[in-house]
Amino acid sequence: MMCTAKKCGIRFQPPAVILIYENEMKGKSRQRIMPVRNFSKYSDCSRAAEQLKNNPRHKGYLEQVSLKQLEKLFSFLRGYLWGQSLAETMEQIQRETTIDPEEDLNKLDDKELAKRKSIMDELFEKNQKKKDDPNFVYDIEVEFPQDEQLQSCGWDTESADESS
Amino acid sequence: MAGDRAKPCELDQEKYDADDNVKIICLGDSAVGKSKLMERFLMDGFQPRQLSTHALTLYKHTATVDGKTVLVDFWDTAGQERFQSMHASYYHKAHACIMVFDVQRKITYKNLSTWYTELREFRPEIPCIVVANKIDDRPMSYLLSTADIKMTQKSFSFARKFSLPLYFVSAADGTNVVKLFSDAIRLAVSYKQNSRDFMDEVLQELESISLEQKEEDMLGKEQRGRVESPSPS
Repeated sequence: MMCTAKKCGIRFQPPAVILIYENEMKGKSRQRIMPVRNFSKYSDCSRAAEQLKNNPRHKGYLEQVSLKQLEKLFSFLRGYLWGQSLAETMEQIQRETTIDPEEDLNKLDDKELAKRKSIMDELFEKNQKKKDDPNFVYDIEVEFPQDEQLQSCGWDTESADESS
Repeated sequence: MAGDRAKPCELDQEKYDADDNVKIICLGDSAVGKSKLMERFLMDGFQPRQLSTHALTLYKHTATVDGKTVLVDFWDTAGQERFQSMHASYYHKAHACIMVFDVQRKITYKNLSTWYTELREFRPEIPCIVVANKIDDRPMSYLLSTADIKMTQKSFSFARKFSLPLYFVSAADGTNVVKLFSDAIRLAVSYKQNSRDFMDEVLQELESISLEQKEEDMLGKEQRGRVESPSPS
């Protein structure tokens, strides 16, 4: 089945994932409503995303929608079920999917450190040039000028405030 | 410092005295990409040996320097860096050090001085390369702030302060990774060849012998302290 995903969103009441897509008939947008069942405020968003993506009835339509995006949509729903505002949920997602550059990762326990590392790994993999990429080069040398004229990184001053 | 959680190191480090063996250690904070750098350099050839009892990962590599085969052991921290200190055996007999920070995280740069102080405590003379990792061109979208400033166009005075070479690298796209490790191996080999370690030991031996003699000869005179290896410049 030819299906080009255009947009994917979540409806809170009644809960459903909604996909806007185009099929063979180019130029004509269609809408698919996929009801979310058995999802509570205690549910696991990544598991719910996986289940929806692998649902035999929706699978074909959701091919182009990433698991990450679905997971995020479920997080919005979850936040709604907890009575959070959209802004609060956004902030929470931001916190859970980003690295705070000021945080001292040496001070985290194994579990928290593993979480941060997996966020970093995701970016790493995005930027990674793998061995089987056609333009992969093993030894890449790039010269960076290192002289006095460079702008300071701003990390050297003792009094530099932590928020800079 | 490292003493309390010290575990006896049964790992045979005598081999690092052999001519064709060098030991290169990696230092730096958690999640700065030390292992990723190792893996990028060794590619398929890497078979890390996890020595969990020592909280370290060992990577073996064979290199050729000036036509001679060199067996390199890379020591990686495996979580021990969380204590911001490594066990003495980690430094023992090391011939070079690769000290890594994450160019997107200031704290890892700030902590270099702690790492450097500890390194010099154990190995006052070995060559040390400072590595600014994660210079990947794509903006660091996972970060909350200072997204896409070109960090490679900035100066980091830590390296200059101690006259250490600074390398900008990316384990993700491979920039300068091979160069870093090749240079580190070269430095390790040349340190070993010109090292004063052995001479220092001999001198210390001689010194203590002569001290004993002096003690016998001139009882009552003030005793001189033993000559220690030179402190960091």
